[in-house]
Amino acid sequence: MRLVAVDALAARAGLTVDQNLSDARALVPNLEAREIDPGFLAHGFAEFADWHSYASPIVAVLAEQAPWGDLCLDITGVAHLFGGEEQLLATVTGRLAALGLTVTGAIAPSIGAAWALAHFDQGRVLADDEVDAALGPLPVAALRLSEAQLAGLSQMGLKRVGQLYGRDRKALAARFGASLVTRLDQALGQAEERLVPRLPVAERFAERRFAEPIGLIDDVLMTAQDLAIQLALRLEAEGLGAQSFHLFLYRVDHKVMRLAVNAARATRDAGHIARLFANRAERLVAEYDPGFGIDMIRLAATSTSPLDSVQLGAFETADGARDLDRLYDRMTSRLGPLAVVRSKFVNTHIPERAVKLEPVVARTPDDPAAAPDGRLPRPLRLLPSPEPIGVTAEVPDGPPAGMVWRRVRYRFVKASGPERIGAEWWQPDHEFGAPAPSQLPELPLSNRDAEAALPAGFAEGAPVPSRDYYVAEDDGGRRFWLFRDGPYGEAASPRWYLHGFFA
Amino acid sequence: MPGCRHEAVESLRAQIARIEQRPALSEAASRQRRLSGPFALPGGLLHEVFTDERRNGGAALGFALAQARVLAGPERPALLFVQLRREAQDMGLPYGVGLKSFGIDPDALVLTRVESIVEFLWAIEEAVSCRAVAAVLADIANAPGALDFTASRRLSLRAQAAGTSVFLTRYGKGREASAARLRWRVAPALSGAVAFDARAPGAPRWRVVLEKGRLPAGRAGTEFFLDWTENGFVVVDSSTHEASPEAGRAPSPRAVPAALGDRLPQAG
Repeated sequence: MRLVAVDALAARAGLTVDQNLSDARALVPNLEAREIDPGFLAHGFAEFADWHSYASPIVAVLAEQAPWGDLCLDITGVAHLFGGEEQLLATVTGRLAALGLTVTGAIAPSIGAAWALAHFDQGRVLADDEVDAALGPLPVAALRLSEAQLAGLSQMGLKRVGQLYGRDRKALAARFGASLVTRLDQALGQAEERLVPRLPVAERFAERRFAEPIGLIDDVLMTAQDLAIQLALRLEAEGLGAQSFHLFLYRVDHKVMRLAVNAARATRDAGHIARLFANRAERLVAEYDPGFGIDMIRLAATSTSPLDSVQLGAFETADGARDLDRLYDRMTSRLGPLAVVRSKFVNTHIPERAVKLEPVVARTPDDPAAAPDGRLPRPLRLLPSPEPIGVTAEVPDGPPAGMVWRRVRYRFVKASGPERIGAEWWQPDHEFGAPAPSQLPELPLSNRDAEAALPAGFAEGAPVPSRDYYVAEDDGGRRFWLFRDGPYGEAASPRWYLHGFFA
Repeated sequence: MPGCRHEAVESLRAQIARIEQRPALSEAASRQRRLSGPFALPGGLLHEVFTDERRNGGAALGFALAQARVLAGPERPALLFVQLRREAQDMGLPYGVGLKSFGIDPDALVLTRVESIVEFLWAIEEAVSCRAVAAVLADIANAPGALDFTASRRLSLRAQAAGTSVFLTRYGKGREASAARLRWRVAPALSGAVAFDARAPGAPRWRVVLEKGRLPAGRAGTEFFLDWTENGFVVVDSSTHEASPEAGRAPSPRAVPAALGDRLPQAG
């Protein structure tokens, strides 16, 4: 076991990263060592990183060097909000230090230079022309190099970054690998390096900071409404509407909560946006936890598209389609996207696959070839998965004369059929030869089992063998749709299932 | 006084909409009303459709859909179906292909699958207040206590204010106080004969009892046998169980019935 990280006290006692744990214990007998949990650390660090979007919208975690990562903020154009770059650095590091964390930071024109300074010459703010001079005296480890590269450099007597300036690049690359040259160029700002932002970058947002943290969800939603008005004005000035809105709640204890809502069509109606958030919050009310309070709220709009101005007036005529879209938005925001669905037809004969339930807010174009034939007898209600029944028939191949369904006996007075729906041999998942094993439930199926295995929509299973469907009417006038799974003769006694109810 | 002015503006708006955009609309609407046959009920009512047993779910939904279809039009294109998610396997989900066979445009019916009775009532209320929804069909097999008089009064008032009808499909023999304007008891009945095939089930037939409320003038009685044909409901003579001669044509529910109602707006 080796040490991955040491704090300032341990470093003073002579411990170093990558030291053997038993050696370290020998050096410092009362050493307190904890085993590293990379998943937990990465998660916690990511939360910290997200929270730092209070300072700048572009936040990234550089994960190559430290076991948990290095926090990196793109502060282009935001420093003036904090009263200058020094102030910004002091604010960001100060807030973390106030939590009792050991934090080092630096501001530099390139990611590489900032990393080097933060690790070896902390607290500096570099201008564009000072990079070469500032990096020169730093050890070569400041270039984010691998162990092998560092060992090689130290063998050659190259200990400082400045010693690499002006050396033959080809020779360096041949001796230490091309990555050394790349890292050097990145640190000096001669090669481009990009941040991968953790949060979606929103160009249009409105935010509000609070002198005193707030906690009640109602206050949050009221603020969201205010912010929605600000954002709407901004979108209106640019002639835009947006489909996705994100609400970021920055907690005092360095966590960010995110709420996102989507609209079916681009909008900038503040009332509508606020209402969507209110519905969404109502759904999350059990998970809402403001901790010690929220000190900043940001509302961001993404997926923007041009939206023309509309004339509002006394003689405006009702636009039913818009009302409907808004209704679906509201219901989706409260009930979830999979709860408000429409029937989409799929080009297949298998009844439960012929209709797919699709969220109304995410409509996909209809397949004209899939439109069903309205003349076929199809039930008004379809059971999501067919239920096994026991059926009696006068002759083996004849229409059913009675059935037992959910432990109740039914006697049929009329029946029509069969309508044979065969396996779709032209589909790629069809297996020729032996009939495919059916995915239908086995006969002894109680209601409890059915509840446990509740499918999301209509059941979709493996390819079905051919089925013979019958419409049967019992002596009370109830009309059922039932089928025999496979023809007589192949299996000893084909199983029967109930699949739907007619009006 | 301001309320009065508001009403005047509302009626003017409706007139302008009619003149400017949809000249064929009023005619189409009256035609649809006429087509609806015996139950030309206006929108904005809370109906309760009771059936004795849960296995009659198909008949109850069919009757509610048949009534709702008349209310849907170009101005109010959408129908909404609300059901508890856990009851889907028990009761069955409305099936798009079957809706088309029945004469309902499957694209117009949006299914809402809620988790709890609170969400159930919320979804109905939210949908009722939308101007573009023709009717809300709410299906609940296990009626819990939350569905009491207060809830139904709320729904009834909302429905009245917005002009959207609500069909609350309920199961069982118990009846509690409710503010519904109409309460139907629906049971399936043995279907009539089909030409050339005596053994095949015929058009859907319901035995309908109006337990509460009143039909528009000119329609007496509270108990009917109804057949569903492509033109809408046809009253069947209860003594002979044969369709009355003035129905004109034999019931044939499977010939894409929805085509009749919408022809005029399409032409306009």
